[in-house]
Formats: sequence, structure tokens, C-alpha cells
Amino acid sequence: MTPEQEAFLAKKKEKAAARRNKPEEKANLGITSLMDIVSILVVYLLKSYASDPIVINPTAGQKIPMSTADAPIQDGIPIFVTTRGITFDSKKIVTMTPDGDIDPSQVQNHLIGPLYDQLAEEVDKAKQLAERQNKPWTGRVILVGDQDLKFSVLVDVMYTTGRAEFSEYSFCVIRKG
Amino acid sequence: MARKQFQEEEIEANLLPVMNVMFLMIPALLMAMEFAQMASINVSPPKFAAAAQQKDEQEKKDEKPLNLKVFVMEDGFRVSADGQQEGAEAGKSQDSKAPTIGLAKQGAPLTDYERYDYAQLEAKAKGYKQLFPNEQVVTISAEANIPMQTIIMTMDALAGRQCKIAKALKGEKIPDECLFWQPIVEGGAS
Repeated sequence: MTPEQEAFLAKKKEKAAARRNKPEEKANLGITSLMDIVSILVVYLLKSYASDPIVINPTAGQKIPMSTADAPIQDGIPIFVTTRGITFDSKKIVTMTPDGDIDPSQVQNHLIGPLYDQLAEEVDKAKQLAERQNKPWTGRVILVGDQDLKFSVLVDVMYTTGRAEFSEYSFCVIRKG
Repeated sequence: MARKQFQEEEIEANLLPVMNVMFLMIPALLMAMEFAQMASINVSPPKFAAAAQQKDEQEKKDEKPLNLKVFVMEDGFRVSADGQQEGAEAGKSQDSKAPTIGLAKQGAPLTDYERYDYAQLEAKAKGYKQLFPNEQVVTISAEANIPMQTIIMTMDALAGRQCKIAKALKGEKIPDECLFWQPIVEGGAS
């Protein structure tokens, strides 16, 4: 081994020893930029959430009709009407026949009995709440229908809601484009 | 007297709890978010329409009511205005079974929502709107088995497919593209 090589190896060992003796540095994770991204994301999500006061969560398998209408959904009580049943307040209260008509035992002269009972109860509660808050009660119902829902079923639901003192109707649609 | 020298210490904020909260908020908000933009079609006349009607009362007095009615049938649209059906059979003013506007796709099933001639219906609505510029209401009815999507598309065509009414609902002027944008759904007709 030449003297240069020996000197080189000695220097290398010294460096290794110095590295070993060096105290471990605490690694700091720079999360400021991550915080920026997350903050922007949270603000964006909160804003988009706040712009829609009514959140409509369609029932499983429901295909909401498409439309060019752009009017926002106003505050109201949603009723989910599909070709398989009518859901109100997260409970399936009316069943349909395989043809998509309302079970004949549940409808009489266009009045859907189980739906009327539920709505009447809801109207009482809503009226009492409005009275306590000194606000006028606006009987608005949001009909969340299905693309294939028959017109006769739609009319029966509207007739029943009308009998339960709802006077304003909105059809929930998905905006095209 | 010797002055004490203060050395400014760098204080690092502990952002981990904040990060934890934010990371929990993101999936929660994403879950609650609507990915499809929802809208609504008001079937009952909105209150501001009544105010607009009062404003144009004098104009309206001079105008005869249109009473536009559209009946969606399996074989097309039956349009009537002021009690007179368009394209009615000879000698029949109201009880004609013949459609005013036939199908765009003959023989297509009811679930094919494009089977109707919406363009022609919209053109007819435009014609009526020119004659009755203050009219906004249309009565829509249909045969029992007509699907809801067809009813909605009929409403779109009668309102004008370029009609953007959202701003007008906040008090702005109703756009000229909007035709008959206040539908009344009538049941039981045949």
C-alpha cells in the first residue's frame, strides 16, 4: 500500500468516526405547504356545502330526472318516489307493484293512506315549530322522483300532499351540462 | 452594569392537532358533497310572479288569457290554447284524440325519452309567446303511463331550453329566452 493510499484510508476512517460521534439531528417535517393545501381544500368544501342548504341523497337505484332548469332547490320536505316505493323521512312507507303502480291496497281515490298519515304528522310538527319561531309556515314539498316514474303515481303523490295541506311543489332534477 | 442579552427563541407552532382535525373534515365534507348539481322546477307559481302580474295588470287587462294546455300522449303532444285544440279532428274543438305534434321517433318505446318532438313543441311555444308576451303559465297533463323524465323534458321545452331563471328568482328581469316557465300539473285529464 502506497503512503497516499494509507493517508486516504486514515482520512476515511477519521471521517467515519466523526460521523458516528455526531449527535443525531432531529428531522423536522415541513408541513406548512401541506397545511396551505389542506386549508384551501377545507374552505372550498365548506363553501360548496354551504351553498346548497338542502341536501338530497337519492335512495338506492333511484335515477333523478335530468333537466335544463337552473332554479335552486328551496327549503321544503323531500319525498322520494321511485318505481319501487315511496320513502319519507328515511322510511319506506309505500310499496309498488312490479309494474310501477302503487299497491292498490294503499291507495283509495288517489289518496295514498300511509303517506298521508306521515305527512299529516309532519305538518303538525312543522306548524308548531313555525308558530314558536313566529315564522309563517310554507308548505313546500320537494318531490324527488325517478326517470321512469309513471305520471299517474306522480299525480297521486301530489294529490295526497295537497290533502295534507302542502300547497307548493318542486320537482327535484339534475342539472344538465 | 452589564446588560443581559436576550436571544429570541424561535417558537414553532404545533400544527399536528390542527392537521388531524382538518384531515377528518375533508372526508366528512366530501361525503356530504353533491357531485351532481341539483335544481328544481317549481310547479306552483312563485310569489314574485304575482307581484309581476300586478305590475303588468293594465297590460294584462288588454290581453285575452291564453290558457295554454299541453297533454302528453303516447303518440305525441296535444296542444290547446283558449279552449281550441290545434290540429283537432274536423268538428271537434276540445275532444280530439289526434296529436298536434307527432312523435320524432315512431315506434320507440316509452322509456326512450327522445321519442317526442321537443324542438317542435318549443317552436310552437315561441309562437304563442310572441302573441302573448305576458303569459308564463302552462298547464301540463299526461296519460297515466308517461314517465316523469318525459314530463320534465316537456316542461323544459315549454320554458325554453335556453331559459335560465335562477337570477330572475332573485329579483332580476326574466330573460327573453324564457317562455312558459310556470307549469301547473293537472291530473285526471284524458
